[in-house]
Amino acid sequence: MRGYFYESPDSFEKLFEVLKDNSREIKFLAGGSDFVPRLNLEREQAPKENKKDLLIINLSELGLNTITENDSEVIIGATTTFTEIQKNDIIKREFPVLIEAINQIAGLSVRNIATIGGNIMNASPAADSVPSLVVLDAVFVLRGPEGSRNVEAKEFFTGPGRTVAKENEVLTHIIIRKNKGFAGFNKLGRRKAETLSVVNAAAYIERENNVCKVARIAVGSVAPTVVRCKEVEELLNGKELTEENIRAASEKVVDEISPIDDIRASAWYRRRVAPVIVRRAIEAAIVE
Amino acid sequence: MSEILSFYLNGNPVEVLVKPEQTLLEVLRDDLGLTSPKCGCNHGDCGACTVILDGKAVKSCLVLAPTVKGKKVITADGLCSGEKLHPIQQAFLDYGAPQCGYCTPGMVMAATAFLLENPKPTREEIKEALSGNLCRCAGYDKYVEAVLAVSNGEFGLLPEGSDINV
Repeated sequence: MRGYFYESPDSFEKLFEVLKDNSREIKFLAGGSDFVPRLNLEREQAPKENKKDLLIINLSELGLNTITENDSEVIIGATTTFTEIQKNDIIKREFPVLIEAINQIAGLSVRNIATIGGNIMNASPAADSVPSLVVLDAVFVLRGPEGSRNVEAKEFFTGPGRTVAKENEVLTHIIIRKNKGFAGFNKLGRRKAETLSVVNAAAYIERENNVCKVARIAVGSVAPTVVRCKEVEELLNGKELTEENIRAASEKVVDEISPIDDIRASAWYRRRVAPVIVRRAIEAAIVE
Repeated sequence: MSEILSFYLNGNPVEVLVKPEQTLLEVLRDDLGLTSPKCGCNHGDCGACTVILDGKAVKSCLVLAPTVKGKKVITADGLCSGEKLHPIQQAFLDYGAPQCGYCTPGMVMAATAFLLENPKPTREEIKEALSGNLCRCAGYDKYVEAVLAVSNGEFGLLPEGSDINV
C-alpha cells in the first residue's frame, strides 16, 4: 500500500531541502478543496499498488497569503483564499471582475479555504478564476530550487491538469498590471451555487467614445485549457460596441473551441451557449 | 507516518495521533468521537460536515487534518452552554427546520459563522451563505426563516467572546 507523508515548511530553504528527496511523488497543498476529495477517493477505491509514496507539502506557512500593490501592479500571494481576495480593498478598487468571478465559485465554506493559487495550479479547464486572469494579462511567478521565473497566464496551461510548472516549482505570486480598461465575467453552471462551469468567459475592453480599442476575451470549460478568442477580439477591435457588433463577434467563438461531452453538458450544448456567455462577459465589461 | 496533532476543539486543547492523509472530519468522528459533523458526500459538495475553523465555516472533509495544527475548531457540540441551546439551534428547533436532521449540524455551523460576520443579513445573503449546505428534505425555507429570526433578535443576542470569536 502507498504511504503518505506530510511536511509543512516555514521557509523556502526548508521547502527545497525537503524536495531534494525524489523517491516520493510530490503534491503541494494549498487550501486542499480539490486535492483532499481526490485523496479521499484514492483511499476509498482506486488501487494504489505500484504507486510511489506521496509526500504532501503544505504551503500555507510560507507567508504567501498577502495582497500588495505598487504604482503599476497588484501582487496576490498564491495561498490567499478566495474569501480574503473578495474582501480586499485593493482588489475591490482595481479588479472588481475577480470579485464577480469569485462570487460564483463554489460556496462560502469552500471559498473560505480554497486559494487562487490552488485554482490555477489545479489547471482545470473549468477553473473560474482563470479566464479573468488571462484577460487581465496576469503573470504567474514560479519559484524552484534554481530560482524564480515569470510566466504569462495565457502561456501557463498546457492541458487539463497540466501547466508549464516543473514538479519542484511552486507558484508563489500572481502579478496583475493595473489597467485603464474594464473587465467582466460570466458563467453558466447547472445551478447557481457550488457548481462547476458548463461554460465560463471573461472579457477585457478598453474603449474610446464607445469604439473598442483593446479587446481580450477568454473562454473556459470548452477546450483542454482556457483559450484566448483571437477571432472574437479581431472582430471587436476598432468597431463601435453596439449590440449587433458584439453579437456578431461573440458568434466567432465557436471556431476557436473544442468542447467535449461530459457529466455537466454535451459538446453540442456548449457550442450553442459559448457565444451567449462570451457576449454576456463583453456586456459586463462595458457596463462599468 | 502518524504524528501528534494539537489544536483547540470547542475551547479545549486536544492532542490526537493522526495520519498525514486523514481529514479533519475523520479525526473528529473516528478518533475524537464527536459525531455531530456528518459525512455526507466526503467530497465537499453537501456541507453536512461543516465546522467552524478559526472563525470561518469550512467543510471538514476538505481539510487535511495536519493543517489544523494550533487552530481553533468548533463543532455543534461546542455551541450550547450547558442545557441552553445556542440561538441558532433554538431557532431551527422552533421553526421546525430539521426534518431528517442529517444536514442540521452543518447548517447550524454555517449559519452561526455567517451571523458572526454579518449580523444583519438580507434573505438573499442568508440563502447564499447556506448555498453550500444541501438539505434533501428541502427544508431550505425554514432554515432561512429561522436564521432571519435570529438576526432580528427573536432568540436573544448571539453569545459573544466565546471561542467562536477567534
